[in-house]
Amino acid sequence: MSGSKCVRLTGALVKQVLDSVDSVLFDCDGVIWRGDQAVPGAAQVINLLKEKGKKVFFVTNNSSKTRKMYVDKMTTLGFNVKEEEVFGTAYCSAMYLKTVCKLQGKVYLIGSNAMQQELEAVGIQPTGVGPDHISGKQGDWANVPLDPEVKAVVVGFDEHFSYMKLNRAMQYLSREGCLFVGTNRDTRLPLEGGKAVPGTGCLLQAVETAAQHRAQTVGKPNNFMFDCVASQFGVDPDRCLMVGDRLDTDIMLGSNCGLKTLLTLTGVSTVADAEDHQRSGSAERQGMVPDYYVESIADLLPALQG
Amino acid sequence: MAGAFGFKGCQKIRGPQLRNLLEAKDFILFDCDGVIWHGEKAITGAAKVVNSLIRHGKNVVFVTNNCTRPRENYVHKFCRLGFTDVMLEQIFSSSYCSALYLRDVVKICGQVFVIGCDGLRNELQEAGIPCVEEADAPDATIYNCALAPDVKAVLVGHDDKLTFLKLAKASCYLRDPDCLFLATDNDPWHPLSGGRILPGSGSLTAALEVASGRKATVIGKPSRFMFECISSQFRGVDPAQCLMIGDRLEVDMLFGSNCGLDTMLTLTGVSQIEEAQEYRNSELTTNHSLVPDYVVDTIADFLPAFEELDEQSN
Repeated sequence: MSGSKCVRLTGALVKQVLDSVDSVLFDCDGVIWRGDQAVPGAAQVINLLKEKGKKVFFVTNNSSKTRKMYVDKMTTLGFNVKEEEVFGTAYCSAMYLKTVCKLQGKVYLIGSNAMQQELEAVGIQPTGVGPDHISGKQGDWANVPLDPEVKAVVVGFDEHFSYMKLNRAMQYLSREGCLFVGTNRDTRLPLEGGKAVPGTGCLLQAVETAAQHRAQTVGKPNNFMFDCVASQFGVDPDRCLMVGDRLDTDIMLGSNCGLKTLLTLTGVSTVADAEDHQRSGSAERQGMVPDYYVESIADLLPALQG
Repeated sequence: MAGAFGFKGCQKIRGPQLRNLLEAKDFILFDCDGVIWHGEKAITGAAKVVNSLIRHGKNVVFVTNNCTRPRENYVHKFCRLGFTDVMLEQIFSSSYCSALYLRDVVKICGQVFVIGCDGLRNELQEAGIPCVEEADAPDATIYNCALAPDVKAVLVGHDDKLTFLKLAKASCYLRDPDCLFLATDNDPWHPLSGGRILPGSGSLTAALEVASGRKATVIGKPSRFMFECISSQFRGVDPAQCLMIGDRLEVDMLFGSNCGLDTMLTLTGVSQIEEAQEYRNSELTTNHSLVPDYVVDTIADFLPAFEELDEQSN
């Protein structure tokens, strides 16, 4: 368990590590694709891992697609994937509310159609999705009618975010016992085409500040997403590898759950970032140091093809 | 100014003590919401207090974080609510001071991208500061929105027409480290009459801080800048001769403390006396700056002090 960290995964070590695990968890943005372009070699890696009998799962903080939408995208890019192998925060937030919060009642949702669909699929009714513009006067906004059946406020990525939505969320949260769940805290969301825009973390911070109340987040690095995978598929943490591009979400999740961790350099974090964390005296920051790193997951191909 | 126990007093004050205090001060700074009015309703006796202070030769100024109206509108509101002696020059709003900051401190050359309402834009335009035009093409999206050239500052205030697109544009502009990041104020929520609240500029600023990874420079209370505006526009403002009267500990009392002024909490607004006492008893010395020197139930408590002054001079 002790010993070296942040080791370049190359040569014979690749096969050694792959043989030591039965399951591999992949982040998506910056790992298997960037925007709408697959990382070269990524589809082959995924497909070969499955051929060799490994269980492969996808764990993403992006809440803008349902599991089915992810599978559609993956199929287009040549990945051989099934719906139940995909864990996005839209699906996981719905599962969290259903199985952990055991929510009875409706949700006021700041989020996408995808989030609405995943909530409805587990029998939870959301309200509030879509454009919501301001009208009337200040007094009207403060007295906005609140649905008495709403028992939780949920915040995910929402390109229709507006002052009125922020206001409604704040008003609901001022009611005793109202739950507050966020999909994730990522500060930027990668778009198709490679551009990036403010992420869910910004919207969540706006609501938390207005309501003076902190949300429970579902996404990485919170353990819940791993728990979701493990509870459905019997994954042994000792024989599981987490592959990601962000030290503060992917690698942190892996460390928190006792998984082996692999950083790929096709996304956000760099080796220098990892070494910074390693050199710091902080115990918390050690959780962001990966066991291994590769330039791209295509570096795994030789071991898989050999 | 330390109270009898060696730290700030939180001292309930009325009658002769209050009269002495008012006599010793040349400049009285009032917050507005929760101090002299609630929404469209003046607090009972407040107009009389303000008019009396002015007539007794005190310099009275109003220092508000509310950035939704231009100062001209405030003059009308003061008049409407019975504060008949108040003039434009006495009003310092965070929007007016933001304009002054951009014009006189930054001496901005270039445009400002504003997330805020018309009241804020009006103040900027009054000061001759070019703002990026508001209107987006009807089909503009986060995928293809046009960015203006030469944006040298992003200014965030209360914006009831906030959209995701505005946040996205602002964070693009803020990628340039030479583009300034300013906020009118940091209030997380604003009170309305009847105990209701609305999301404040602070919540919008927080969103943009997360998006940009940068911290905003806050113009309004509790930052010192609004006091510097006041000092530069009135002769001989001595902090020792000033009294700051407000209703929010984290905003008004801290502002007074930061500027070296004596502070008075009035209980007609947001903060309760128990909160002030908690801050006073706190082990964190930074919390002591939020403790008022003096406390009144309402500024109407000043009235008996004037009646005595009037009697004395008759």
